[in-house]
Amino acid sequence: MSEAAVEADGLSASYGGGPALSGVSFSLAHGQTLCVLGPNGGGKTTLFRVLAGDLDAETGSARVDGRPAHLPQGDRPRLDFPVTALDVALMGSLAHGRWWLPPRRHERAAAHAALERVGLQTSEHERFGSLSGGQRQRVLLARALVQDARVLLLDEPLGGVDPASAERITALFAELRAEGRAVLVSTHDVDSARGFDRVLCLNRRQVAFGTPDQTLGREVLEATYGAEIVVLDGGRRAVTVQHHAH
Amino acid sequence: MAAAPPSPLELVDLAFTRSALAELVLLAVAGGLLSGWIVLRRLAFFTHAAGTATFPGLVVAEAAGASPRLAALAVAGGYAGAVGRRPQRPGEGGDTAVALLLVVALAAGVVLAGDVFASGAGVDTLLFGTLIGVEAGDLVVSAVVAALAVVATVLLGPVWAAAGFDAEAARAAGVPVRRADLCLLALVAATVVAALPAVGALLVTSLLVVPAAAARLLCDRLSTLLAGAVTLALVQGVAGLYLALWLDVPPGPTVAAVGGLLFAAVACVRRPGRVA
Repeated sequence: MSEAAVEADGLSASYGGGPALSGVSFSLAHGQTLCVLGPNGGGKTTLFRVLAGDLDAETGSARVDGRPAHLPQGDRPRLDFPVTALDVALMGSLAHGRWWLPPRRHERAAAHAALERVGLQTSEHERFGSLSGGQRQRVLLARALVQDARVLLLDEPLGGVDPASAERITALFAELRAEGRAVLVSTHDVDSARGFDRVLCLNRRQVAFGTPDQTLGREVLEATYGAEIVVLDGGRRAVTVQHHAH
Repeated sequence: MAAAPPSPLELVDLAFTRSALAELVLLAVAGGLLSGWIVLRRLAFFTHAAGTATFPGLVVAEAAGASPRLAALAVAGGYAGAVGRRPQRPGEGGDTAVALLLVVALAAGVVLAGDVFASGAGVDTLLFGTLIGVEAGDLVVSAVVAALAVVATVLLGPVWAAAGFDAEAARAAGVPVRRADLCLLALVAATVVAALPAVGALLVTSLLVVPAAAARLLCDRLSTLLAGAVTLALVQGVAGLYLALWLDVPPGPTVAAVGGLLFAAVACVRRPGRVA
């Protein structure tokens, strides 16, 4: 059996105060998809930051096969930066270790191909900040494709995305899985989690990890979301209700 | 009544204006290129603080007979190192500490110049530069930083762009963001020191921020932004020097004032909807 793509063992992390996340242990193989579920502040982004190497684990350990491609939440990349969709896709080539040299011909070809794969070949020269939210997510996915990482960390890639982009992005998850890549996706959408191989439920600690059948029951979802979840149809469907402080 | 405008050829005919012009051309390359990165990486306040922080160092060096350039480099380099080593990334937070540094640096410089070393006569020169008195050593330093700015932009530009656009993703991909950022801070500090003879400690931002701030209002692409910033820095420098010669006013502040006017003019004609 091949080595796991992602492994966490007793992982906890914090930003200097109390733990933002604790007790996380799971393993994901190559060619598997993982949905990370949890409420706002539940630790999804913290987990991805640790796996991306951007935040040190306080206790426990995390191991990722190679350098992951990390798509932070949509508001992280700067929309005012004077770069085109093609420029952003080409940034993926910096991960190949020759960052001090201009992109090679095959890296440029890979960037064109990646943008075509996400359906944005006609928007290559559009400024990133002028694209719609869904198009921007697809450009960032193209950057991940150019990076050619074995592990992809996608932090709420479907948040605020138009239906057409969401459909294309979801289809891409399946393609990446078929290519043997491990795809970790955080989301609030409980229903969409049923399409993943594994589900990890977080609420500042690990609530559950397993297959969708094992994890998406009423008890686990209520422990994950507390008052933010409404379970419908006898547990077959659930919707989250976001509470915002004003 | 103002004197008749001098011939533009006087800028190259006279030895002291020729040196000043050469200095401004070299600083336009270094300052123009770096201003692009300074504006995009939100380092304008850092740049202003690095320039101002050199002021007390220059006063002490002048009184002690030490090399002002080395003193300024030590202060600006030390400041850049401190900013680079703090937990936040460049451009994120730390404004209060920088503002305090500005106050302390200016107050210490004035007190040292006036009451301790009694060298108040040189304060204006330290703060606003003396472009007409540029020496061969100043030109050599400016040529070196101009060359470094070109080489660094070619080699490190893609990393600076990736880090400025999405630092988390760049770090996750193994791009050496921290080391590249330290190089950027160090290069900005060195360019600040190179610009001191021309525009002084207080006006370095006129060459290291204003050109790209104006070019950004017109340019959609990174490459055109950098080229535009160098062009505007050249126009600002040459026009400022010519006006100073014509109006018989200090050239450093005139170059800075022309930069401000250029920015205002570009802001008036920019296309609607452009991000400032």
